[in-house]
Amino acid sequence: MSVRVGEKAPEFTLDGVVKGDFKSVALKDYRGKWLGLFFYPLDFTFV
Amino acid sequence: MPEFEQRNSAVVGVSTDSKFSHKAWLQTPRKKGGIEGCKYPLLADFTKKLSADYGVLQEASGIAVRGLFLINPEGVVDAIQVNNLPIGRNVDEVLRLLDAFQEHQKNGVVCPIGWAKGKEAIKPAEAAAWFEKHAK
Repeated sequence: MSVRVGEKAPEFTLDGVVKGDFKSVALKDYRGKWLGLFFYPLDFTFV
Repeated sequence: MPEFEQRNSAVVGVSTDSKFSHKAWLQTPRKKGGIEGCKYPLLADFTKKLSADYGVLQEASGIAVRGLFLINPEGVVDAIQVNNLPIGRNVDEVLRLLDAFQEHQKNGVVCPIGWAKGKEAIKPAEAAAWFEKHAK
């Protein structure tokens, strides 16, 4: 599956690190805001 | 990231590393290749499902290529950029896109090639006048 411009972004809820703490983050937390969601290959490499 | 906050926007990073790896990277000083002081969330796509959903998973290696998705307040994708592994992104271009989409949303204008905040955008009903003034 892939994503297309003009279509709904796939929803997600994932664990991660937010301001130093482990936390779960969902796409719907950002409803009402613009979101720049970026993917990068690996920690400890450039972004 | 005040540039993003000023634009009612946020940034979230994702890789297929674990959250523990993210935490270690966030605690490593920049001069040692870390990103200490980084303010935005980093998410752990440890199952690689999200990377696959967004079409950026490189299946042979199990890592995600450098994809950027600009998602609007309604949850719709407004812009996509995907770079192969060796080349990083440009934050200024992301901010330019945000400015352009917000200008469109606010004023109904369209933003031609090279548009940036402060330049005149095109009012669709008055496009002929724009070309008269700006075309070389």
